[in-house]
Amino acid sequence: MRSSKIKSAVLIALCAVGSIFSANAQDANSILKKMDDVMYSPKDMTGKNKIVLIDKGGKQESREATIQQKGTDKRIFRFTSPASQAGIAVLSLPNDIMYLYLPAFGKERRIATSAKNQNFAGTDFAYDDMESKPYSDKYTPKLLKTEANVFVLELTPKSTSDYSKIIANIDKTNFYPVSMEYYDKGNTKIKEAKYTFRKIGNYWSASEIEMTDLKKNHKTKMQMSDVKYDKGLTDDDFSVRKLKQ
Amino acid sequence: MKNLALSIIKYRKAIIAAILVLTVFFGYFIKDIKVNSDILSSLPKDDKTAILFNRIGKQYGGNDIAMIAIETDNIFKKETLEQIRQITDSIKTIKEIGSVTSLTDVIDIKSSEAGIEIGKLVDENNLPKTPKQFDNLKKYIFSKDMYKGTIISNDATATLVIAKILDGSDKEEITNLIKSKITNLKLPETIKIYYGGLPFTINEAGKIIAHDLIFLGPIAFLVIALILLLNFRSKRGVALPLLTVVITIIWTMGILSLLHYELTMITCIIPVILLAVGSAWPIHVINRVNTETDPDKKKALVNALLYVTLPVSLAAIAAMIGFLTFVFGSYLTMIQQFGIFSAVGIFIALLLSLTFVPAHIVSINFKSNTKETTPKNNKKSFLDNFLKTNVSFIYKHPAYIIIPWALVLIISIIGITRIQHKVDMIDYFKKGSDIQKTERLMQSKFSGSMPVYVAVKGNVQSPEVLNVMKQIQKFMEKNPYIKHTQSVADLIEEMNNAMGEGKKIPEEQAKIEQLWFLLDGQDIMTQLVNDSLNEGLIQANMSTADNKVLTQFSEDLNQFIKQFKNYQIEVSGIPALYLRLDQSIVQTQRRSMILAIILAFALVALMFKSVKKGLYSIVPMTISIIILYGFMGWTGIPIDIATVLVASISIGVGDYAIHIISGYNHFFKLEPDVNTALRKSIQISGRAVIINVLSVAAGFIVLIFSHLVPLQRFGIIIGVAMISSGLAAITLLPVIMKATQKSQKIKSYDKTQSDEVLEKSEYCN
Repeated sequence: MRSSKIKSAVLIALCAVGSIFSANAQDANSILKKMDDVMYSPKDMTGKNKIVLIDKGGKQESREATIQQKGTDKRIFRFTSPASQAGIAVLSLPNDIMYLYLPAFGKERRIATSAKNQNFAGTDFAYDDMESKPYSDKYTPKLLKTEANVFVLELTPKSTSDYSKIIANIDKTNFYPVSMEYYDKGNTKIKEAKYTFRKIGNYWSASEIEMTDLKKNHKTKMQMSDVKYDKGLTDDDFSVRKLKQ
Repeated sequence: MKNLALSIIKYRKAIIAAILVLTVFFGYFIKDIKVNSDILSSLPKDDKTAILFNRIGKQYGGNDIAMIAIETDNIFKKETLEQIRQITDSIKTIKEIGSVTSLTDVIDIKSSEAGIEIGKLVDENNLPKTPKQFDNLKKYIFSKDMYKGTIISNDATATLVIAKILDGSDKEEITNLIKSKITNLKLPETIKIYYGGLPFTINEAGKIIAHDLIFLGPIAFLVIALILLLNFRSKRGVALPLLTVVITIIWTMGILSLLHYELTMITCIIPVILLAVGSAWPIHVINRVNTETDPDKKKALVNALLYVTLPVSLAAIAAMIGFLTFVFGSYLTMIQQFGIFSAVGIFIALLLSLTFVPAHIVSINFKSNTKETTPKNNKKSFLDNFLKTNVSFIYKHPAYIIIPWALVLIISIIGITRIQHKVDMIDYFKKGSDIQKTERLMQSKFSGSMPVYVAVKGNVQSPEVLNVMKQIQKFMEKNPYIKHTQSVADLIEEMNNAMGEGKKIPEEQAKIEQLWFLLDGQDIMTQLVNDSLNEGLIQANMSTADNKVLTQFSEDLNQFIKQFKNYQIEVSGIPALYLRLDQSIVQTQRRSMILAIILAFALVALMFKSVKKGLYSIVPMTISIIILYGFMGWTGIPIDIATVLVASISIGVGDYAIHIISGYNHFFKLEPDVNTALRKSIQISGRAVIINVLSVAAGFIVLIFSHLVPLQRFGIIIGVAMISSGLAAITLLPVIMKATQKSQKIKSYDKTQSDEVLEKSEYCN
């Protein structure tokens, strides 16, 4: 009699825990999906990008570029300053294919990079971080907690990655990311990104992303301005021919 | 002097109390003492080569590289690659590790007609499996210069995992953590792991210093206690000198700590030095007090102090001079500190011998009023017979003394021509030690571990600077011991090739600036150029530690870079440092030895107000130095960081002529006859000299238990120097004195008289 009572109690407890888990999983998934929607819903985007590099001594260096992006996997970065790098352009296409154009050489080279943990052009952003693939495709989310303004999600990579997990803070009302913390395989926090979003037209747009490499104590700020959405860019705008112009 | 002695008696309790209070005070600070095993921190702060080496090591991170070498039968096997991956991943998880490079984690850039492919050399998530895949990988790796001999050995049996420790972290802790992480992996025995690079070397050296400090001190203590026991056969004779030396050591180490100095691989032997050297003076004092027969204790003590203060002070000052010569003559700061603190210790030992020891004797004696029992040994010992024969030789057959000495000197002088220098720090560690093993592996299987740096000032994005760097690299690579050089110029060539324009430096700066875009932010860049891009570094390793090769290479390279007059080019690295260290060792040796001899001469001449006696005093020490270097030449013991110290120390510590001359003066005053005075001096002071030589030599011999090879050699050869100096002082010196002190009346040798003196001298025991 007593044992059956215990059994049923355990069963009830298990069911309760299970339902909490599934509810959580659903919530986490839908939160991450919503974040992806906020970040990747525009059909295309153009804008100006300022990259500020800050070293551990506080010394700053900046570069400017224009950005064009279509969907989540086509993008052109074209540097406008400093003078020595003006005209350098990087075209990213699906399947990790990139083309680099160096005006001093007057020619482009195809760059295939499978090493996604490499940093992009001296910044603290790895190629992995620059990728516009939806987070819900790459990570399995788990809702850790809900705070006053944010959902705290733990993202575990679905395939191989240099990160063991990412802790993402997602705005409760507008579902844009507020910050992300990146952990290595030893569970040490190695990088940290802070996002500043504002609304442009119908879309929430990241006006600044500040990425800090905690080991090197080096910081990169990517600041966006003149952002325009849905201007009807075509695939042709993302061709090697266009890259060289 | 008499007043001083009386004051000591009067204030004996206050003196003992004050000394005990000071001992507690200094003892308290010993707990703060730190060990500094970083050899590089001992390089002088104002030396160009050293400054450059330290700056480059810091700025470009070379001093923070930990290397883990993995040796097995074949690297190109699934299990081995898996193990390399495990090691790499486990080290990577350490917070304070900036980056890890290994076979399973290294960026590989392939350039082809189709473009550039940036990827991992081996995909750690998809390791090769089939023999064909391994074959292809092996072929590819060995087709690239940048991997051969740097990350994998030419015979594919060893590979390196290179980890960069972040600036400002505790390297000792990190290296221990790396070791424990790898141990925890429980790798099979077929895999051998070696730890190299400066952080590991420093950690290992730190352990050795701690070992020497913990083990050598007590061993020396026991050895000295045993010798004292054999000599005195009384409690006080053993306890009082030991107590004095222990207090001396506590004060010296306390002062060292109080002044924020750290213990180094050389200064860690100061306790042993003080035990060996510093126990001599309390012995002299006790000896003398014991011999005083006056029933009035006060008077006896005063007499004893009057007799003993001068020779003991002279001997201590001479020893201090020997140590202090390192302050002026040495290149490494740790040797200077060794000189200073040994001298401080000796001063303290002297001070205690003249205050604490008599105060203690008086207190005990006055209180208990028991006579210290020094057992009389009525049988003539071997020592007495030896001294007797010696005296008879000096007077009857001086040729028996002169001829053997002449022969020994001739053989020694021939030996001196064979003497070698050695500055290779790796040789300082015992054969079979981890540091040695790693080093041998690095030299035999990889491109070596003797870093060579060439820093070229100028805009590193200009084709001219890059071409100068390339020319220097080509010159360096002609040396058979340099397999590979690395600079940003190589990377620019590689990138230019990737852009389809050939493996060369582009002619236009604009092109270089744009190629830079691809290199910016890569980890390796911080190791090759500075932040302001106005200095580029060429890095190479030499696979030899042969002094001659390193010296020749340094000279050739310096000559070669002279042609680039418009550029500021600096060379540093281990070969340049070794060259500098070698010069400085020779310099230290000459300067401090000559200085020590001159000062010893001046000291004796001044004290005895006689140039002749000053000259007498340098006879035994000069002879002992010739024999010392001759011995080193014949036995192949090189002049190194520690053995270079022996000559000056033995001049200071082994100034036994002082005892003979001082004894001679004392007896000459009592009875103004050269022969009698000399004979008595040999028999009484000579006995003390022999006991002193044996106890000091025995104390130093303890150093053969050191884990540092130079300290072992130091222990052996200082014994040789002491014994030859002591023997010369009691045999050859009297012959010379006898021949030159002719102004006095010389009596013929009288056997009866001699024996009488000998009987009296028993009290000396």
